Amino acid sequence: MSIRHGLLALLSRGPRHGYQLRVEFEASTGATWPLNIGQVYTTLSRMERDGLVEPGESDEQGRVVHTITTAGREELARWFSTPIVPSDRPRDELVIKLAMAVAAKEVDVADVIRRQRTATMRTLQQLTKAKRGATDGVARRLVLDSMIFRAEAEQRWLDHCEAVLKEER
Amino acid sequence: MTVVRLAEVSRVHGEGATAVHALKGVSLEVGEGELVAVKGPSGSGKSTLLNVAGGLERPTSGTVWIGEQDLAAVRDPAAFRRRGVGYVFQDLNLIPSLTAAENVMLPRELDGVRSRPAREEALAVLTEIGGEELADRFPDELSGGQRQRVAIARALVGERRLLLADEPTGALDTHAGDEILQILRARCDAGAAVLLVTHEPRYAAWADRVVFLRDGTVVDATEAPLASAR
Repeated sequence: MSIRHGLLALLSRGPRHGYQLRVEFEASTGATWPLNIGQVYTTLSRMERDGLVEPGESDEQGRVVHTITTAGREELARWFSTPIVPSDRPRDELVIKLAMAVAAKEVDVADVIRRQRTATMRTLQQLTKAKRGATDGVARRLVLDSMIFRAEAEQRWLDHCEAVLKEER
Repeated sequence: MTVVRLAEVSRVHGEGATAVHALKGVSLEVGEGELVAVKGPSGSGKSTLLNVAGGLERPTSGTVWIGEQDLAAVRDPAAFRRRGVGYVFQDLNLIPSLTAAENVMLPRELDGVRSRPAREEALAVLTEIGGEELADRFPDELSGGQRQRVAIARALVGERRLLLADEPTGALDTHAGDEILQILRARCDAGAAVLLVTHEPRYAAWADRVVFLRDGTVVDATEAPLASAR
């Protein structure tokens, strides 16, 4: 995903200025993707150049409010209707590390798995705690849910690796 | 304060060549207000651990204390369990001919509590878990998640300080499963000790401490977070 689509999604609710966009972006993603204000302004000016947003007048504090254009709404609709493909996501470092641990022969793979499993469980515990405390906003809860499901998948995969390697031995 | 403590507990099923060593020298403590999850694959000894902790099975060697009481020295284990320990199993064992409230009342009535106060206690605990509207329905009129909430209410009724839960989320979907954990967690935060066994990482993660069990042995654990180190 690009920041531009995120900002377009927020602008689709109504005109906003840069600082507002930054605050709302972080609130909806549960601060999993912190933005600096510079990124917001750079993105806005590029989108302005591409005709996706247009600036309005500045308010008394000199802040410029941006409005989504028809082209911007079309771009947003295109984004929402296009599924994410695997190549949009970065490689998983853990998968590579474990594959290499197996390939390297002299590594105690079971120990690598055990350490990782305990560490991932700690992460999962923290995420669950954060979710229990997250009473504001369903978007933020769903982001936490996504991270919980991902950590859970990693645990399951590690259990699976352990079982498979045990049989291989 | 420690509510349940296992010291070097072993449990062997069967004898001789066919003997199965379900637990091999497991030591574990669960304190007041603490939720401990035991995570392991099937056959790792999870359910045996829970049965031993609640006095449903006797350890082959080692000791189990509930509070200050050595379980081996309890005269009437059934009454002791009923008053102090609540169980939630995967198969719920609700009695089909009794309403939800009557199912929840049952352990109190067995303890000699009269019907009216037992019903009041049952309704209070059903309300606590957000199931007051289920009170007069029969088990077959409830969804899977609702039935499991009633089973948990039955485990909670009375002043039980220790709650033992064996895969309590069963086949529930993740949202309903999360609600079950929410209830267990709330009970914990109110001072009960909960020992949960599960193979599901997402539910284990509700615990203050997760203990990994493999082939009857504790192989690792996440340490208790500072917040719950009382």
